[in-house]
Amino acid sequence: MGAGNRLAGALTFVMPLAALVLIWAVVVPAFQVRPQIFPSVAAVIGAGLAGLRDGSLLTHAATSLARVAIGTVLAVLVAVPLGILMGISRGLSAFLTPLLRFFSVLAGIAWIPIATLWFGYGFGAIVFVIFNAVFFVVVYNTLLGVSTIPMPLRHAAASLGAGRRAMLSDVLLPGALPNIVTGIRTGLGFAWRGLIAAEMIATNVGLGYMLFVARDFYQTEVIVLGMIVIGALWLSIDRLLLAPLERATIERWGLVRA
Amino acid sequence: MNAALVLWSWCLRTSAKWPVLQTLAPFVPVVALWWAVAAWGPFPPAFFPSPMDVVRAFGSLVYRGILPEYLGDSIARLAAGAAVGMALGIPLGLLIGLSRRAYTALWPILLFFQAIGDIAWLPILIIWFGFGMTTMTVIIVYTVLFPVVLNTVLGVRSVRVELYRAAQSLGATPARVLTEVVIPGALPNVITGLRNGLGYGWRALIAAEMIVGTSGIGFLMFDARRAGSVVEIVLGMIVLGILWYIVDAWVLAPIERATGRRWGLVTQ
Repeated sequence: MGAGNRLAGALTFVMPLAALVLIWAVVVPAFQVRPQIFPSVAAVIGAGLAGLRDGSLLTHAATSLARVAIGTVLAVLVAVPLGILMGISRGLSAFLTPLLRFFSVLAGIAWIPIATLWFGYGFGAIVFVIFNAVFFVVVYNTLLGVSTIPMPLRHAAASLGAGRRAMLSDVLLPGALPNIVTGIRTGLGFAWRGLIAAEMIATNVGLGYMLFVARDFYQTEVIVLGMIVIGALWLSIDRLLLAPLERATIERWGLVRA
Repeated sequence: MNAALVLWSWCLRTSAKWPVLQTLAPFVPVVALWWAVAAWGPFPPAFFPSPMDVVRAFGSLVYRGILPEYLGDSIARLAAGAAVGMALGIPLGLLIGLSRRAYTALWPILLFFQAIGDIAWLPILIIWFGFGMTTMTVIIVYTVLFPVVLNTVLGVRSVRVELYRAAQSLGATPARVLTEVVIPGALPNVITGLRNGLGYGWRALIAAEMIVGTSGIGFLMFDARRAGSVVEIVLGMIVLGILWYIVDAWVLAPIERATGRRWGLVTQ
């Protein structure tokens, strides 16, 4: 794909969104929508500039991103080795699958009440919620990934004299990688939503908190600004970071199933 | 060692006979461990209740009629939201999937609104509709809608062009192409979308009930948190987990598998 093509692609992606903003810019003054119900485009831009000038918008966004990053990295570091260990044995993985499914259902939001009791309001509780959202999904997917590696591959590696370490680094990990990345993507999707909910309930900084406090003062321009920032951030994380990573992993290491 | 092996083989044999047991068996050691830790007592019981406390709380909440009522409320909300979400999402998905123009115009908007995520809508919905039923319904419809639309579009677009052409050259009208090529071809994806959507919707419901709630399992848990009653929080989590497990593993997954087997296109 050439640079011109990519530019055209980006344009066709942005055009509909621009049209939506245009409709918004026309409809709000035309129907004289009260600012308490829905803000005008100018008010939202004004709120964005004000937030950038006093740095509060950046602080909220950076805090939210840092929480997600820390929770996710911790969860992946623990979940991948655990998932591989469980996946090595078929019996063990079949035994543990219902358990993992049960807990991945509870992922994220359901942990908020107990997390705030155990860790108090603030950083600990939120990172715990994100950790949980990512952890169980990634363990489950890693286990799934390891158990889908065809047995002949493992036998072949073993009979060619692969030791435990070579087996791990050359067979199990690469074989499970596509599933691991898919797990991370799904888990992050849950974690991002969980983060916003947790920040509404349990903290005093972050994008979710920014939205929820603005509600108390009927500052719809700050709410809409927050929603746009949340949407744009997740869209860029998902489309520019996770989706290409997933595609590349599957292309490189994915087992082609007949 | 030998005894353990005998026990293990016995476990495997019985669980092969009754699949339900296979599902339940892994929870036995977890509950046992939980019980042991609670009895050993490194954490105060107010922080870390024992399984018996939770069972007792379950009994008392059922006896007082709170749990069945809240559970009914949550399920009714989810069902209503899912039904509306599907009724809107499937036709919209078919439209966007079939028309190239609608696809270019609407796909980015769909992606963006899906990325905003359900819960971020809560503050402004509270301003619009107040604390109540409408707010929660809108959130769930919103959450279910996007995965259904996005997956329906994917499904429609994954139907191979040859199939359309074959149907058309055999004289099928557009309506018949729709009902006999497009919809069956897209069905596996639609079901997958529904399953994802319900998963997200379920979580959104819990969050919405915590924040706006006046009833429901999410509200039960958050109210318990306010009162500092860990027992009821844990109970709420267990009820949530069991309920979703039943819905997902025993209703949605079999439907998905059956649709995939019946209508799924075998891909190379």
